[in-house]
Parts: sequence; C-alpha cells; structure tokens
Amino acid sequence: MASLILASCSSAYSADVPISGNVQTRCLITTDTNGVFGNPAPSKLSTASADGGVVPVVRYDVTLADAYLAKVTTPTAFSASPSLSDSVTWTGSTAVSKTSDAAMSGYEAAKVTYGSTTQFDLTKAGSTWFSSTATAVYGVNKSFPGGTYNAIIFAECIAK
Amino acid sequence: MKKLIISCMFLALPFNAHSEYLYGITGNMAGAGHTWGMSNIGPSNNRGLRINGVYYQYTPVKNTEDDMLVHVRNKRIGGGYIFSETDDWSGLPGGIPITKGFTVDNLPIELWGDGSISVEGTGSVTDANVVYSYKYNNDCLSPLSDPSCPGYMDAVLAMADDYDATGYNPLDDKNITSTLEEQAEADKIEEEEEREDSGKLERILSSVDNSILASNILAQDLLMSAMTRSVAIDPYYEKKLSGGEYKEKIVLIGGELPDNKRGARVNLSQQLLHTEMVGMQYNQKE
Repeated sequence: MASLILASCSSAYSADVPISGNVQTRCLITTDTNGVFGNPAPSKLSTASADGGVVPVVRYDVTLADAYLAKVTTPTAFSASPSLSDSVTWTGSTAVSKTSDAAMSGYEAAKVTYGSTTQFDLTKAGSTWFSSTATAVYGVNKSFPGGTYNAIIFAECIAK
Repeated sequence: MKKLIISCMFLALPFNAHSEYLYGITGNMAGAGHTWGMSNIGPSNNRGLRINGVYYQYTPVKNTEDDMLVHVRNKRIGGGYIFSETDDWSGLPGGIPITKGFTVDNLPIELWGDGSISVEGTGSVTDANVVYSYKYNNDCLSPLSDPSCPGYMDAVLAMADDYDATGYNPLDDKNITSTLEEQAEADKIEEEEEREDSGKLERILSSVDNSILASNILAQDLLMSAMTRSVAIDPYYEKKLSGGEYKEKIVLIGGELPDNKRGARVNLSQQLLHTEMVGMQYNQKE
C-alpha cells in the first residue's frame, strides 16, 4: 500500500520540457542560368557554348566562412527523353566561373573531382558561381531519336 | 512689362506638389576606359539624383606569385573617396572573374567625382564592368515644373524673350478693327431678321403642328374605318341566300285601319316638350 502511494507521488514530480530552436541557413543555392543542350552532331548533345548550348550556372551564397562544402554533380542520365535503345556516354565538368571575393579565386585550384561530382571547399563568405558542362554521346555515332531531352545538375551544400 | 510677365508666370504656373522617385541603372561606365565621369548619369534636369548602389566585375590577369591590388573608386567632390573597394590578389591566381555589389546610402550625385578602376602591383584587369544604380525625382524633368527646379529662372527668361509684348495695341490693328466692325454689322442685321422672322416662324410652326395633328387623326380614322369595314361587311359578302320566291304571308282582316289617337297625343306632347327645351336655350338669362 505504501509503495503504491510513493509510486503515484513520484509520477507527479516528473515533466517533459519541450525544447525548440531554429537553425538559419547560411548556405543558399540558387540557379543562376538554366542550361540548354546543343546538338552539334546527330549523336551528341552538349551544353558547351561552342556546341550551340547554354552552360548552366549555379550560385552558392555563404554567410559563414569555412563551414560548407559545395558539391556539384553533372548528369549521368536523362531525366526525360525519348525511348533510347542504346547506351549514352556522359562526360561533364564543373568550374568556378565567378566569385565575389578575390580570396575565392583559389577554389578552382583546390577543387576535388570524383566520378561526376566536383567538390569545392567554401572557405570564404560570399557568393560563388559554378558553371557545369555536360555532354552526352549516343551509342557509336548513332543518332539520337527526335524529341525533348532533359537532364539535371545536382548541387548540394554540405556542412563540414 | 517683362517683369510683369515674369511675375504673372510665377503666379500662373502650377506648383507641382506630386513627387515620386524613379529608379534606374547606368550602362557600363568602364566600357570606354578605366576612368569615367559621373556627370551624365540619369536624365537631364533631374533633381535630387542619388546613387544607391555600385556593382562591378572584372577579370584579373596575373601570375599567382605576383602581388596585385585592384582599386575600384569614386572621388568625393571636395576631397577623398566617396566609394572605394580594393581587391587583394597577391598570391592568388587570376583568370576567374570577380563580381561585387554594394549598397550605397542614397548619396547625392553632387558628391560623386570621377570613377576609376586601377591596378597596383603586377597584373592587369580585363572585361571591367562598373554599373551604378540610382533614384531621382521626376518633378523636374521640365525646368518649368517647379520654381525650385534647376534652370527654372533661365527657362522663364527664355520664354519671356521669345514673347515681345511691348508697344502693341490690338485696337490699332486694322485687321482686327475691320473684323470687329464687320462682325457688329452682321450681328445687327441678324438680330433684325430674327425679330421679324420670329412671328412668322411661330405661326408657321403652329400651322405645321396643326396640320400634322389633323393628318394624324385623319389617317387613324381612315385606318380604323378600313379595319371595321372589313370586319362588318365581310360576313354579308359571305352570306348566301337560298334561292326561290318569298311571298307575302301577312293578311289584314277587315280592311280598315283606324288612326292611333294615343300615339298621336304622345307624339304631339313630345314635340311640344322638344320645342320648349329648344326655346329655353334662347330665353336663358345671363
């Protein structure tokens, strides 16, 4: 009986105290320019200006220095396309195209590339523009079927 | 006389109480060289133009090991710099464009001196692009819009010079006086004709109205008559009598018809009453 009373009293002295918080983003990714595929040859689609395409540009705005990594991945498949019966060979690259601070000019030399992903260490606060080129070649000199082709550049901001 | 005209202009020209800011941006001020003036920013005759932003971009050309400073500046009228930004490229690679934007606290254009982009150290810049954003009042696009606008007095004096109002009396102008006399004579003749014609016109209009009314009534009567005649006569046209001879069937018995004295008395009394009633109209006293 006594233990029952103690148990009921102890439950009255406990409480769940909520904790809430808000983390303000300090890395903002914005599409600066949408890319467009050029079709310089029947078997080739390319975003390069020389191939009649438009290079996609993405901008990273960082308000906290040395806290984030920028990862930009060029496409390895079409997100939408006509039915393709042969393989597509993809090549791509990402480079710093513009900065808002002279000290960011070292980003390009310090970038790390693995697979289709390029990683930049955002050591300075400010804005950095990254441009990517993507090229798709169909089969072996095989013509792409007519239709609309879409692909996606994947940009991430990873906290260190 | 000219002073009087100018005074009148001051009173007559509306003072523009409406004022709002318009915004704009310049072209590339560094397009023609690495120094530029600020006198041609915004529309002419603007008042209160203020710079509220500076944006620049250029590509450094240098070796990584070289020291290089790039200054983007605007002199301040009266000394010093009103805007100055320096990029230190020492030990950094070139080749990648740099772009920067700055918000400026609406500083009046009168304070902004010549701008420049200059290199200190080893290296150079290419593709320089410097743009200013600004705002200004729209109430002085014409200097005559408001007495407080720049160039207002000059514009008023220019207008006064164009207008020579001295020594001219319009009543001495033969063209004007002859025109006035002709007009007065024509007015007099017109008034007399109007006075004469007014009675005629009223009678003509009255007779015309009566004629129109009568013709309308007549036309309606004819129309109604034609309609009713059609309704009343058509059944008789359509009625057909069966053929044969209709013989007299009533036969008087006795062969003598006496006078109806009672009917004669009634007829006489009614005649007398009628005569009396007609006579009452003439014997009525006013």
